[in-house]
Amino acid sequence: MILHSLRVAHWRSLLNPVELGPFSERLNVIHAPNGTGKSSMFEAMRRALFDAHHVSGDEIESVRPWGRSLAPQVNVEFTEAGVRYRIEKTFLDGASARLLRFEQGSFQPLADSRNADTKLREIIAASDAPGRGLSKPEHWGLAEVLWAPQGSLKLESLSSSVTENLRAALGVQLSGEAGNRLEELLEDRYQTYFTKGGKPRTGKQAAPILALESERERVLDERRQRLEHQQRFEETGRAVEDARQKRSQARLEATALRETVIQSRQQAEAFVRLQGELIQRREAEQISRERFEAIGQSLELIASAREDIEKSDARIKNGKLLVSDLASELKEGVNAASEARQKRDDTRRQRSTLDDRAAEVEDARAYVDDSKTHQTLAARIGKLRQLESDLNVSKANRVALVAPDDEAIRDVRKSVTAREKALAALKASLIHLTVEPKKKTTVHRQSTDESQVVAAGKSATFSGTPEVRIEIEGFGIIQASGPEGDSEAHDEALKKAEAKLSKLTQPYGTQDPDRLQLLREKADEIERKIEHLEEQISELLGDDCNDGLNQQLAELDARIQERLGRFPAWKETPPNVGDLKSTLEKHRKTVEAAIETAEDAFDKAQSTVQGLEKRHSEAEAGLKNARFNLEAAQMRLKELTKDGQSDEMRAQTRQECLMSWEAAKAKAKDCETKLTSIPGDPQKDLQKLERQLKALEEAEAGARDDEKQAEGRLQTLATEGAYSKWAACEEKLADLDARIRSERLRMEATKLLYDTVTSCKAAIVAAVAAPVERTATHMIGRIVGSRLGTVRFKENFVPLGVHPGAVNEPVDVTNLSGGEQEQLFLITRLALGQVLAKDERQLVVLDDVLNATDTGRHARVLTLLEECADQMQIVILTCHPERYRALERAQFFELRSHPA
Amino acid sequence: MKFLHTSDWQMGMKAESVGLMAERVRDERLQAARRVVQVAKEQGVEFILLTGDVFEDNAVDRLLVRKVGEIIRTFQGPVYIIPGNHDLLSPGSVWEHSVWQEATNITVFRKSESFELEQCILFPCPLQEKYSTKNPVAWISAKGVTKTAIGLAHGNVEGIPSGEPDYPIPRDAAARYGLDYLALGHWHSFARYDDAEGQCRMAYSGTHETTKFGERDSGNAVIVEIVQRGSPPKLTPVKTGRLDWRTIERTIDQPNSLEALLEELASITQPDGVLVRAFLQGVLFPEDRKALVRLEELLASRFLFGVLESSCLIPAPDGEGWIESLASGSFREAAIKLRSQAAHAVNSDERAVATQALLQLFELHERSRA
Repeated sequence: MILHSLRVAHWRSLLNPVELGPFSERLNVIHAPNGTGKSSMFEAMRRALFDAHHVSGDEIESVRPWGRSLAPQVNVEFTEAGVRYRIEKTFLDGASARLLRFEQGSFQPLADSRNADTKLREIIAASDAPGRGLSKPEHWGLAEVLWAPQGSLKLESLSSSVTENLRAALGVQLSGEAGNRLEELLEDRYQTYFTKGGKPRTGKQAAPILALESERERVLDERRQRLEHQQRFEETGRAVEDARQKRSQARLEATALRETVIQSRQQAEAFVRLQGELIQRREAEQISRERFEAIGQSLELIASAREDIEKSDARIKNGKLLVSDLASELKEGVNAASEARQKRDDTRRQRSTLDDRAAEVEDARAYVDDSKTHQTLAARIGKLRQLESDLNVSKANRVALVAPDDEAIRDVRKSVTAREKALAALKASLIHLTVEPKKKTTVHRQSTDESQVVAAGKSATFSGTPEVRIEIEGFGIIQASGPEGDSEAHDEALKKAEAKLSKLTQPYGTQDPDRLQLLREKADEIERKIEHLEEQISELLGDDCNDGLNQQLAELDARIQERLGRFPAWKETPPNVGDLKSTLEKHRKTVEAAIETAEDAFDKAQSTVQGLEKRHSEAEAGLKNARFNLEAAQMRLKELTKDGQSDEMRAQTRQECLMSWEAAKAKAKDCETKLTSIPGDPQKDLQKLERQLKALEEAEAGARDDEKQAEGRLQTLATEGAYSKWAACEEKLADLDARIRSERLRMEATKLLYDTVTSCKAAIVAAVAAPVERTATHMIGRIVGSRLGTVRFKENFVPLGVHPGAVNEPVDVTNLSGGEQEQLFLITRLALGQVLAKDERQLVVLDDVLNATDTGRHARVLTLLEECADQMQIVILTCHPERYRALERAQFFELRSHPA
Repeated sequence: MKFLHTSDWQMGMKAESVGLMAERVRDERLQAARRVVQVAKEQGVEFILLTGDVFEDNAVDRLLVRKVGEIIRTFQGPVYIIPGNHDLLSPGSVWEHSVWQEATNITVFRKSESFELEQCILFPCPLQEKYSTKNPVAWISAKGVTKTAIGLAHGNVEGIPSGEPDYPIPRDAAARYGLDYLALGHWHSFARYDDAEGQCRMAYSGTHETTKFGERDSGNAVIVEIVQRGSPPKLTPVKTGRLDWRTIERTIDQPNSLEALLEELASITQPDGVLVRAFLQGVLFPEDRKALVRLEELLASRFLFGVLESSCLIPAPDGEGWIESLASGSFREAAIKLRSQAAHAVNSDERAVATQALLQLFELHERSRA
């Protein structure tokens, strides 16, 4: 399609008719400032070509100029397939359409009204817009690709008809005539089983095979359970057999063992009998032996008693003689010991004189020590009293002296300074009038009404404020006035300073700071002296106190006087402690030697007496013991012989017992020989056998119980008919397997068909898109260089992205910069336009594009546009005509402003 | 003396090859048992010998045991049964069911010991184990008996290829042990074992109703007539089975060949007793696509059971009918590719998938044109 001219009236901002054209078949640039109506011109062209004249609704209503009842009108002249047409349309009020064809030098009507709309769409291969609304890009036919409205350069999808047109233009058929329907059916079939991602469908619309497989899982589980029942049935049958076998075996073994038990029991009874007999024999043997041994023992005891009687008689006789002799010796020993005791006591009495002398020595030593201590303590107390006296005097002096402290002196000095400053200020604020008369005169001060006589040659000064007025006798009145000032305030300050000074110095009797300083120094000296005395007293006292020292002195004095009372001679001549000690030691040795000799003599005599007493006592005890033994032996003999038998008779009886003992022993040995002939312990053996038999009988009973229980279980399991149920599961499973196989075959066949068709389609598309991709790659390479590599398209010719040579995977278009995206979509449209232009020149409209393209690339795009113009008619709408001035052969149209 | 020899009823057997028709097949076995009794009555036999495997397993449904017992009971004359290796005599076996005590005409042999009747002596060999290498008839010593000696056994006659020896029975067992006739069970086909003189003294009666596809000479009972001790038995097989298990195998090498098969199947009478398994191989011509669908439908609808196995069919590689009907474009390319895949598939699964995909393409293509 080639556009020749365009006339628009009553369209949005285009109130008056605007006509553009004739257009160049190559490059055209329509420019105007923003808001002039460039885009409206081409909106009107699109509506005229693609929309029915009778459309209604808000969208078409909005193109009517604001606030006016004007019907939008559009006339478009164009050539399609070598034939020139003009379409004239009026929308809304009085809507009409008229299609004209250029015939023999002029336009002749071809169709009008709805026929014009239909015919036009046929000519330009556009499709019907749905309903009563305006058409969308997908209804524009090839213009969907070739016309880029303002802000819509991007290509996101293309309608199937355009895609097919493109494919047709490229000379390749993808699906054939009925291909779309077949594709839909295949897609439906495929989606019965799979998702678009190729995964088996799940959920409510799951592929049928999933339900079958789920059922198969359930049946498998049931089959497993049935098989377990079947196995349990067989195992239980074997358990019954085992129990029967076990019971039979136990019964056989028990029968065999019972015979053995009977024999063993007989043997055990014989054994027990012999054991009883042996015990009886052993008891008889024991009785005979005990009787034999008892008679023998009795004979021995009688002989022993008789011998004891004889020995006791002899001991009594000798004992009596010994007791008499020892009594005489004891009496003599006692007398000798008494004498020795007397002598020892006499000697011991001399020891008391030693104690008296030792006490005297101790007193002498104490007297000497106390006298020395008394002397030292008296001197210390005297010195202490002297220091205390001095301290009292110093303290009294300090109390008598009133002196200021350093802070008071500083305050006084400050007050003096303040007073002087106040005085100076006061003086400065007063008027001073000095009179020095040559002769004595009286001066009367009028303000105070005071009079003063001033001697000749003397001066008198009168001060006041704010004036001083005096009357000099015989002279007249003199009035002086001066600068005014606050003398009252200064006077007040002076009084305050003097009052404070008086208050501070009142205790000290002077306001002179230097004198006050002297008082302070004197007070300090007295205080230092007091401190020194107190240190001396403290050092002399140490840990003691005054009263304690006096008490010690009194105690010492008392002790000394007490000793002088007992030893008056010491008052004149103090005792010599060393001499007294020496004399005492000599006397002590003499006395101790005499005492030791007397004590040794006494101990010896005493020891002799004790020895005799012991021997006498022992002799008496022996005599008593001998008498007791005699009585006891006599009693024993009496007891042993009370049967009245003679010794010979007893010997005879004993011999008879011995013979009985020997006979019993022989019989017992015979029993033992018989018992030894029986091996082991028949009773224990019998017990073991009986236990074994019992165990076998229990085992048989247990096996019988097991058998019964197993039979019960088996009966229950048999009732279940496990095999029949298992067989039913197997059959169900076989049926499911067959159905799953069939369904899987169907699924896999569908998938294979789908995948094969898809891959074939992809291969065809790849072949179709290749020339477009090559053209686009060439163009983008010229604009941005080789960095972006090759351009990739989707099956529907929408750009997928670019494939730089440096990376393995294509880069999605969304990952490119805004400028590069813009350039990619532009060259896509141009490349597709070139493909379509093989049959006929096509119109490409670019409304306000390349806004994000830099200057360098923009220049390269212009070169590309100039080249493309060889095959296509290009119309550019822009508000920046200067950017396109480089297009040398382009035709520029300026759209004048015609505001509504 | 005239009696009926039957065996291997395999009641309650699993029939997984016929899918959901298994229960019907099992019911048919009960019907066949009734026919056996009917034959016995009609033939006026003195007794029936049932030589093992009356039941498929000892754990079959007890109601089925009752039904079988009741069917046998209707014979009224004596029926002698030995347990086989499927229903062996063991704790919990079907033979402990009360129906066998209740039916006074039925004797289930539980020991290998002779059983004397008025006219003959029976030598039963009941099995108590599933497998054994023991000859079950070895204990028989009938040479000295004067009455007709008849053995009942269940096992493999030596010479039948069956892997490991399992209850092996000598081929000359009847002569060796002095039997006039040895009634055998275990194999489902009727089989005679003639001696050197051409006289048959031992035979398998086979199952009374065919159990599966490919089982020959089955579905019979045998009427045995013996005049006296030593005289040769006369064996007459009588048909008792009703089911017709057919396996059809066809190789397609010409277009429209399936039409003949369709006609053949349509001509089968009493289809409700027929089970068909059809195997097709060779070349699938585009012209046969509809016939193939019809064949599948016919098998599934007309017969008791029918299944078609066509995975071995290969779309005709030079059959342009597969391609020409499709317009040029991706679908035609896909059809060419699928046809090639089917022809060059490395295994039957891949071939079947490719063939099915091609069939689906044409099915959808036809729908798209409808």
